[in-house]
Amino acid sequence: MITKNDNAPDTLPGRFQARFGRLLEPYIYLSPALVLIALVMFIPLIIGISFSFQKYSLISASGPEWIGFANFEKLYGDRRFWNAARNTLFWTVCSVVLQFSLGLGLALLLNRPFFGRRIVQALILLPWAVPGFLTGLTWAWLFNPIIGPISHWMFALGLFSQPDSLLADPQYAMWGPIVANVWYGIPCFGVTLLAALQSIPDELYEAGAMDGASAWQSFTKITLPFLAPMIAITVLLRTIWVANFADLVFIMTGGGPANSTQILPNYIFTTAFRKLDFGYAAAISVALLVLLFIYAGILLHMRRTLVKV
Amino acid sequence: MAKIELQNVAKSYAALEIMSDLSLTIEHGEFVVLVGPSGCGKSTLLRMIAGLESITKGDLYIDSDRINDKAPRDRDIAMVFQSYALYPHMDVARNMGFSLEIRKEDKALKTDRVQRIADKLGLDTFLDRLPKALSGGQRQRVAMGRAIVRDPKAFLFDEPLSNLDASLRVGMRLEIARLHRELGATMVYVTHDQVEAMTLADRIVVMNLGNIEQVGTPIELYETPANLFVANFIGSPNMNLFEGAFRDGSVVISSDNPVSLPDYDLPAQAVHFGIRPEHIRLAEGDRADCTGLVEVVERLGSDTIVYANVDGWGIVVVRLNGTADTQIGDSIGLHFDRAQVRLFDADGKAIAHAGQSPTRQ
Repeated sequence: MITKNDNAPDTLPGRFQARFGRLLEPYIYLSPALVLIALVMFIPLIIGISFSFQKYSLISASGPEWIGFANFEKLYGDRRFWNAARNTLFWTVCSVVLQFSLGLGLALLLNRPFFGRRIVQALILLPWAVPGFLTGLTWAWLFNPIIGPISHWMFALGLFSQPDSLLADPQYAMWGPIVANVWYGIPCFGVTLLAALQSIPDELYEAGAMDGASAWQSFTKITLPFLAPMIAITVLLRTIWVANFADLVFIMTGGGPANSTQILPNYIFTTAFRKLDFGYAAAISVALLVLLFIYAGILLHMRRTLVKV
Repeated sequence: MAKIELQNVAKSYAALEIMSDLSLTIEHGEFVVLVGPSGCGKSTLLRMIAGLESITKGDLYIDSDRINDKAPRDRDIAMVFQSYALYPHMDVARNMGFSLEIRKEDKALKTDRVQRIADKLGLDTFLDRLPKALSGGQRQRVAMGRAIVRDPKAFLFDEPLSNLDASLRVGMRLEIARLHRELGATMVYVTHDQVEAMTLADRIVVMNLGNIEQVGTPIELYETPANLFVANFIGSPNMNLFEGAFRDGSVVISSDNPVSLPDYDLPAQAVHFGIRPEHIRLAEGDRADCTGLVEVVERLGSDTIVYANVDGWGIVVVRLNGTADTQIGDSIGLHFDRAQVRLFDADGKAIAHAGQSPTRQ
């Protein structure tokens, strides 16, 4: 054996060093990113989580003190928290489902050749580029019966008995921010799904056509399976983002009327910066974080069963 | 089985006309190979038959049904793509049975058909694999299996072997030939590989610039090319072609060494003189038509290809049987087998000689 010489005892330390170096190498390259993530993500996260176990209020006379799970016990009995959690679920599911289905429709339309397609593809991104604050304000005005047309249209259609603001009705007020959010979020789905659509080779559709597939069959049997991994990941990201998205609700309804549009991120914000109760706000945040973690876990597991192509 | 008929078919993209007037009939159960240089329109023609490209003008018939305006799915034709175009998210069995799945055929019947065809193609142990877990040759088989399962009227092949390595290609070529024999189906096959064309085809269609240059059996094309293009395109190494002039029963290429051609009775005119490398023999003294200086010798074992430079002519390629002992730098005398000489007129069209039937166009 020629290689036997390599195993001679006197070269062992050198070999160990080389192997150790190889193991270490990737981490050296990764270290700038890791340090940055630790500084801006993990350390604040840990401090935030630690707040949730403390009585930490800027208006209390005493300083912060450790109180164990007391914040969470209070949370369990807090009707406003459960109300906000229910509203968050409704807000997130409705927003994401509508954004996704309309976004997919948009992507399918934009994937067909037509005159001026490139310009339309670029224009379609515009709502996404508008700051959330501005979107909220514009839609709030659109719903406002004094300066906006929507209430009057709804009245004309017979949906309202009189041209009232949708945002003032506790039963339907959530639909205001949801509509604004759908308008705002469609381009995000549209553009990512369009990119995924364009990566499907034409030949597969040609093979499908030769095999006798109708347009609907090639959509369900070729397009959708191809899009599935991309759909899973965008839905996951959008859900987390929408569940944490406080701007629209904050601007359009401020959580009202009668807490009917209060969602968790708003509740956290008000608790922390209006009531200055950072301990309790941190506890709500941790609850939201856990819910989103569970959701992400389920979705990522589902995604693993999809074919990656 | 089906008869495919193209009548005065034209194809243009906007103002760009790539096929002006093409007619071709493919008989029941015939294996027709379309060959030509890239860009000659052979793939476009195939895709027009498939229905993947529209037909700008003219008529396409299958069994006397005009199908110009029928969607691909209604034409009952199967196609094997160059890239195989297997559905990457379906296993082999589902890929093969996809057309039956689409037609909502009975499950048992589908499984049974897929199993039978898979056995025939040696795919029975791969049925539950995804395409990405298959080798190139296996994917090729799945693509063919998918076509066969449907039992279509006709098969179209678009350069199906060009993504395989050389040895696999030979194997698959034999398999396709066997399949054609067993199925007896009409097959149209596009390739740029003339060995595939020569070995598989009942008839070859040589295309160039959107036109058909010649249609015929492989041997017809090889022995009696209708024009310079076909003469040049079919055969490897290429036919030797030289410009010259026909005068007094001889072809004069350079001022000396006229080649006498007693079979031809022509007025004086400019001609192209063609002879295949295997129809040139080494000769001594008077029997030699010309003398050349050997520049390159390729020894293939079965043959030896000699490239000799003849003064005033250029390179003459000679194919000698076995391992000839010709060396670089040798001066060799060359004799042309008169019966195998082909002449073409100034426009490149073949000139028939006495005792030879005019070539079929």
